[in-house]
Amino acid sequence: MVREFNTIIAGVGGQGTILLAEILGEAATIEGLEVKGSETLGMAVRGGPVFSIIRVGGEAHGPLVPEGKGDVLVGLEPTEALRNITYLSKNGIAIINTRPIVPYTVPLGLATYPHIKNILETLKRESRKVIALDATKLAKEVAVPVAANMVMLGALAGTGKLPIRNETLKRVMRAHFSREIARINIKAFDLGFEVGRDLTERNQRPEHPLPRVSARGKNQNLVLCTRVGSPHSFNTQQLS
Amino acid sequence: MLRDLAKGVSGEKAFLLGNEAIARGAMEGGVQIAAAYPGTPSTEILETLAQASKHLGIYVEWSTNEKVALEVALGASICGLRAMASMKHVGLNVAHDSLMTAGYMGVRGGLVIVSADDVQAWSSQNEQDNRFTAEQAYIPVLEPSNVQEAKDWTADAFELSEEFNQVFMLRTVTRINHARGDVTLGKLPKERREGIFRKDPSWLTHVPTTARKNRSLMIQRFKKIGQAVNRLPHNRLELVDEAKLGVIACGLAYAYTLEAIKWMELEGKVSILKVGTTHPIPADLVKRLLSSVEEVLIVEELEPFVELHVKAIAGKENITIKVHGKDLIPLIGELSTRIVTEALAKLTKSKPPIDFGRLDQLREETAPLIPWRPPALCPGCPHRASFYIIKIAAKSVVKNHDLEPIYPGDIGCYSLAVASPLETVDTLISMGASIGIANGLAHVVKAPVIASIGDSTFFHSGIPPLINAVYNKAKITVIVLDNLTTAMTGFQPHPGSGFTATNVKTTQLKAEDVAKGCGVQFVEIVDPFDLKKAIDIVQRALMFEGPSVVVFRRECTLISLREKKKRGEKVVPYVVDAEKCTQCGMCIKTFACPAIVKKDKNYAIDDFLCTGCGFCAEICPYEAINLRK
Repeated sequence: MVREFNTIIAGVGGQGTILLAEILGEAATIEGLEVKGSETLGMAVRGGPVFSIIRVGGEAHGPLVPEGKGDVLVGLEPTEALRNITYLSKNGIAIINTRPIVPYTVPLGLATYPHIKNILETLKRESRKVIALDATKLAKEVAVPVAANMVMLGALAGTGKLPIRNETLKRVMRAHFSREIARINIKAFDLGFEVGRDLTERNQRPEHPLPRVSARGKNQNLVLCTRVGSPHSFNTQQLS
Repeated sequence: MLRDLAKGVSGEKAFLLGNEAIARGAMEGGVQIAAAYPGTPSTEILETLAQASKHLGIYVEWSTNEKVALEVALGASICGLRAMASMKHVGLNVAHDSLMTAGYMGVRGGLVIVSADDVQAWSSQNEQDNRFTAEQAYIPVLEPSNVQEAKDWTADAFELSEEFNQVFMLRTVTRINHARGDVTLGKLPKERREGIFRKDPSWLTHVPTTARKNRSLMIQRFKKIGQAVNRLPHNRLELVDEAKLGVIACGLAYAYTLEAIKWMELEGKVSILKVGTTHPIPADLVKRLLSSVEEVLIVEELEPFVELHVKAIAGKENITIKVHGKDLIPLIGELSTRIVTEALAKLTKSKPPIDFGRLDQLREETAPLIPWRPPALCPGCPHRASFYIIKIAAKSVVKNHDLEPIYPGDIGCYSLAVASPLETVDTLISMGASIGIANGLAHVVKAPVIASIGDSTFFHSGIPPLINAVYNKAKITVIVLDNLTTAMTGFQPHPGSGFTATNVKTTQLKAEDVAKGCGVQFVEIVDPFDLKKAIDIVQRALMFEGPSVVVFRRECTLISLREKKKRGEKVVPYVVDAEKCTQCGMCIKTFACPAIVKKDKNYAIDDFLCTGCGFCAEICPYEAINLRK
């Protein structure tokens, strides 16, 4: 039985951060696990930062992950992952959608947006593993860009860390969405799962040469980036 | 994902939002009337009850404001029905007048007030602690520590309210209302009471003799409650033999405390008093704890409410003990496991389990990388156009005078116009205060005073200050930003929407009719996307000798888009014509719709974000923005 498994999901209002958490939490409940969590709403939904927390296991009592105790940080937007980096344990995993959402303060000259490389390097330094993918692009290829959250949920499941079965997650999607929306979301989830699994496996066997993984066996640019700063790192055009 | 929780079966496990759990608790507690005004973090309570209302045969309404909501619930309670009024913390200020006397009256049907206190002011103008409000009104408070308790204790509150003949408060904080957790559902009662009003002026008519009599009865009731809380399961004392340190953990803080004690490996080494009734506190249990340890730490969010009462008990009972509380636990913002862990580490003179200093250092190091991401009005939001127009009109009126227009603002999505480049919210105090403050300004400054207020907020508390402006001849312009919904909290209907909380068609009130009825002589209605006409109207309103009202009316874009999607209509976005665009940047510098993006030096429109409103095309000085062909 899981004692404590802490997930932090960070994104920008409109990305489906809370929906992702709801599916995760509901699936965990169906699995008979104890679940706790919370979310930040209110002013935050208008394009501001949103973060959701899902904690599983009998030793998780509070609605927030204690700082330094996060097992997984899911960043639907790279800088939003960084904003929540202190929640992540040194042993934790960060799963990052590399697609930036630039706030309006940047074109107004009131803020700057960092280079994606800097973000991933910082995350890498502070965690055990970083799994980075352009989930927005992947989602667009199989469905619609807004399904990026489901690609990320799939990638999270693909790491093998989640104490929840894929089938249960899909069951929740089927229960909450119309048939067509569920189909699209499950497709996005499956793709994310493959990518997450491939990147995780590759991280575990760094002695193997890194092939360009094709997620659906045809598109050569689907999988993007892993282990920034490692001897086997590679970046694609999106990241440069 | 709102669902009909009336369909949940007893014993079933459900994954619920704190507010859904509270709503389910109310159903299990036999609520028959629920009233509220939307406000983060309380809104979903009434929404969930509204969903279930038909199935359960209960009456649910969005009231015009929290005072009315409380009075609706009080009216039902007087007639013997169980009733609930839910609101955000600052909403209770609006209800305060009736609340104070409700405390004197006591109840017939169980009456529960949910006060959702927004600790950290995530979505509020302050982070007040309503336990003090409850204390002032002799209202007992239950404070749950998790989502399961939020459900169970809401149901308990109805029972307790009737047992002790007193109004009860369920005080929650944002991290209970917007927490989630697995919850085991309880039974739904079958009993449905008939409302019966019995005339009893000696109870219900608060003339001075009634007030004095009811006050005495209220104090007697409260004494009884003070004794009973020592036996209630909501409080729990776990004494550890020979423990030197005791912890009193209140409401949500109990969850953080449990985790901190485990993290610090202090299990079985400290005595713990869980306080679920933070008003009145279980004095006997507190005494027992204080007599058994050398030091005590009180963990509670915001004010030292329980701390003050514990110190009073220690003084009264002559117990010499060091009482810690706000010397180690911050007064400001939400607590966390870390904060409690650090306090425990200090008290036990031991090292925290991880190096928190390193985390702070990490936060400081990464801060420069993280862009400032304030919430913004949505792409295509009519409010952005309204403020753009108001600003142009106001500037044109003060031209050649050394005057700067003043923009008192109000509470809603449109508060976001405080940000650059609109910068048309100069004050933000409370619901309706835009017009109230404008009244004051008008008598002391020469500059034009332009108050902006949303439709829902106008009906909530904008009308008395508007009447005041007419009566006292305050030369102000009031802009009613009418998007036909309460958008900020998630599209709840209001008196101007034409339908109720349970989707029943009703009279649709119009802000312009209300303004005319209040005696305003200049009242105009305009579409905020009609740039030229709107500027002209606001200019005339500003020149008018006397209070003027302009209603900017256009449906919230999020609703329009949803309706369009339902009808199968496509949104046609606008595009920037790179040849015509001179990169002057006026679109971003003056309007800043999030759909307008800058790639290197070039301007473009994000076709995913663009709603096709076309306002940017209107304001582009070079006509470089066109509908996509």
